[in-house]
Amino acid sequence: MFERSPVTRLLPVMLGALISLAGTTAAHADATLDKIEQRHVLVVGVLLSGGPFGGIDPATQKPRGLNVDLAQELGRQLGAQVQLVPVLPANRVQFLQQGKVDLLIANMEWTPERGEILGSVPTPFYRVGGSAAVLKDSPIARWEDLKDQPVCTSQGSSYVKPLTEFGAQIKAFKSSSESLLALRGNNCVAAVHDATLINPLLADSAEWQGYRALTPELNPAPSVIWTRRGETDTQARLDPIVQELHRSGWLIEAQTRNHITPASPALVELQQKFQASGA
Amino acid sequence: MNHWLEFFVHWASSLGLNYGFLLDAYPRSTLAQGALTTLWLCLLTIIGSLLTGLGLAALLTSGKRALAVPARVFIEVTRNTPTLVQLYCAFLVLNMLLNQAVGTANPLTPFAWVVIVISLHKGAFHAEALRAGIEAVPAVTLEAARSLAFSNRQLLWNVQLPLALRFALPSLINNLIDLVKMTAVASAIAVGDITYSAIMIWTQSDNVLELMILLLGFYGLLSFIVNCVGRYLEARLRMPGYGH
Repeated sequence: MFERSPVTRLLPVMLGALISLAGTTAAHADATLDKIEQRHVLVVGVLLSGGPFGGIDPATQKPRGLNVDLAQELGRQLGAQVQLVPVLPANRVQFLQQGKVDLLIANMEWTPERGEILGSVPTPFYRVGGSAAVLKDSPIARWEDLKDQPVCTSQGSSYVKPLTEFGAQIKAFKSSSESLLALRGNNCVAAVHDATLINPLLADSAEWQGYRALTPELNPAPSVIWTRRGETDTQARLDPIVQELHRSGWLIEAQTRNHITPASPALVELQQKFQASGA
Repeated sequence: MNHWLEFFVHWASSLGLNYGFLLDAYPRSTLAQGALTTLWLCLLTIIGSLLTGLGLAALLTSGKRALAVPARVFIEVTRNTPTLVQLYCAFLVLNMLLNQAVGTANPLTPFAWVVIVISLHKGAFHAEALRAGIEAVPAVTLEAARSLAFSNRQLLWNVQLPLALRFALPSLINNLIDLVKMTAVASAIAVGDITYSAIMIWTQSDNVLELMILLLGFYGLLSFIVNCVGRYLEARLRMPGYGH
């Protein structure tokens, strides 16, 4: 009557083979380190929003900044070719989660909420807090003065939460450049970003002469290299490299090379810590 | 209300989707406020764009070069540049210049800029749809109306537009559905529409998938309502023996 075709008869066998194959690939826990060691490629998401941490060099049209230097140095030490992928604050987490990038060096500070959804290299490479650019004659002197005032920032900024707690009305733009333009258009009383973006901008640029920065820094937090959650092998491989970069003074030198002002006291502190423990 | 929400969250979690944030008052009120803002944006831009379209179509078909040429130039410029670029240009450049000129007395909020830019942008598309309708009115009908001593304005308002509207309706509804989806650009300049609210929530926590599904559902529903209204109007305005 009805006879099974050879293919249908083999179906359970093929399915079984497929399932066992899937099982063997799942045995590799940390795909990123495997990929780096086998294919010698490291894909790093960097934030190129301008400023000394990451931006485009107007002369050569190439990315530059501390983020870029650090990515290249990691690649050199791992013997891998570095591919840079520009990310935005609003999409960087998704880029990492979906595997478009292996690591994030994107001005993203460690917070407990982020620590739950992603993994990170334990040793931070920088410490940074928020600062606000306000008009020189503005009455705002303390962070508490921002209560019920419109404040510009970027979507995905880690300062949204503390600013909400101060009672500020947040206006979050796609990136820091739009936020700063909106401040200059008087759409808000302050623009809050990393102090490492605000300080050099106000110090160097003639266009920003009418503005001053708000101190002290808001919520100083460690900047870390982010990995996908659970990729402990990659973290364990990168952690001694970052510690060595502190110990040898490479990070302090990179800070000077990229004209990051004011120089971070945290870098000196970390260098002393690792020099003491390493010696 | 809360009972249903809890039921939904429970049901979604059985599908592996975590809608727990909906039970939290802060994200829920942010989303609800965003949905309301999007509804207002849609309502105001639908009215604004239809009025703009009507005005531009009247200029285009007036038969006077001095009126038709500027209208044509405006339509071509508006139609051929991206909405997002226009919005940035209006909000980050024009608004800044306006602020420098009048200081803090500038009455235009980011919300107002979105309404203006989308109304003008979609108005240009409506104008073309209405022009097609107006030009499809048979010449003999116009002659008959002229022989009854209709002035140009009466001709447009009482003869051409009622017929043109019936021809243009499918195109207009098409444009309006596009307009509903276009309101999402408001999020780029920090107007708190539903897209913006969703971005603000998902950049602080890990629920992109859930929020995306919610967003798609919301915009889908809104466009579907516009579609249904369009179908109803088409059936309502149908004239036996004309067009269909």
